[in-house]
Amino acid sequence: MSEAHVTMGAHTAAPMEAPPFAIPSKKLAMWLFVMADVMTFAACVAAYAFTRNATPDWPRPFHSVTAVAVMTVIMLTSGLTMLIALGAAKAGDKAGAFRWMMITAVAGIIFTLLHIRDWMGMIDQGVGLLHNPWGTAAFGASFYAITGFSLLHISIGTIALIIVAIRYQGGRYNADDIEIVSIFWQFVGLVWLFIVPVVYLMNQTPAAR
Amino acid sequence: MTTAERHGIGKYVAVYICLLVITALQFVIGYQNIQGTQLVVRMLTFAIIETLLVVLFFMNLGSEKPVFVKFVVYFMLFVLATMNYIWTDSFRLLLFRLTKVGPS
Repeated sequence: MSEAHVTMGAHTAAPMEAPPFAIPSKKLAMWLFVMADVMTFAACVAAYAFTRNATPDWPRPFHSVTAVAVMTVIMLTSGLTMLIALGAAKAGDKAGAFRWMMITAVAGIIFTLLHIRDWMGMIDQGVGLLHNPWGTAAFGASFYAITGFSLLHISIGTIALIIVAIRYQGGRYNADDIEIVSIFWQFVGLVWLFIVPVVYLMNQTPAAR
Repeated sequence: MTTAERHGIGKYVAVYICLLVITALQFVIGYQNIQGTQLVVRMLTFAIIETLLVVLFFMNLGSEKPVFVKFVVYFMLFVLATMNYIWTDSFRLLLFRLTKVGPS
């Protein structure tokens, strides 16, 4: 038996390596989830860009992007209100944190309703998954896939915000939990900031420019 | 807003205003008569700047340990860079559809 083995046997606990990232495990889990989700969104956008580039008669149906601009401002503002909630939570202001989280959730609900209204407008114009009045059928499928995936994230994020806010108010969650849901909320806002130019602004009707 | 809430918010408000301005510029570009590669480059440049601002400040990645920042950034950049291998096939398909020459 080597000297090393004898030494290890004499001590019950071997020295552990210092944690390299030194962040709470829940926060690390959220970052890993965000990294995985980035890949999913990147795959969606890559598939969209592939089809868009390879299709000469790609439709450019967006005459006005005013509603999209309003939605973008709401999303950006909700990111700020989320940070105010986080700041309040870290400062121990429970009522303030709850209030600002609920304001963020309301912004998420308004965004979701505007998004559904946008979809209804597209459906009224005859845009379906496999057909549209303007050109290649792939437009509808890719449009609904990307915006729908984003809408799903924002809806889930809004529900998560409300749940975390209520549990924080009830004392079951703390500021760390608000920080975790904040990371997710900022991420879905960031995704929207990519969807706006790629899906809407690059597909405006030439007359609208 | 209480004093506690105001604490440290100034930095975030500055970043928020920057994001609003950059987004407004994107919409201005969207309404200009810019086509093709120039449009894509300008839009994506602004989107990348927005990404840096959001990730570093709103998601607070900038305040994490450097080794964690490297872990996130290097893996993300690698994945996003390798996804660009689609372009050769996309342009091949575009060329075929326009000229009907080459493999379908």
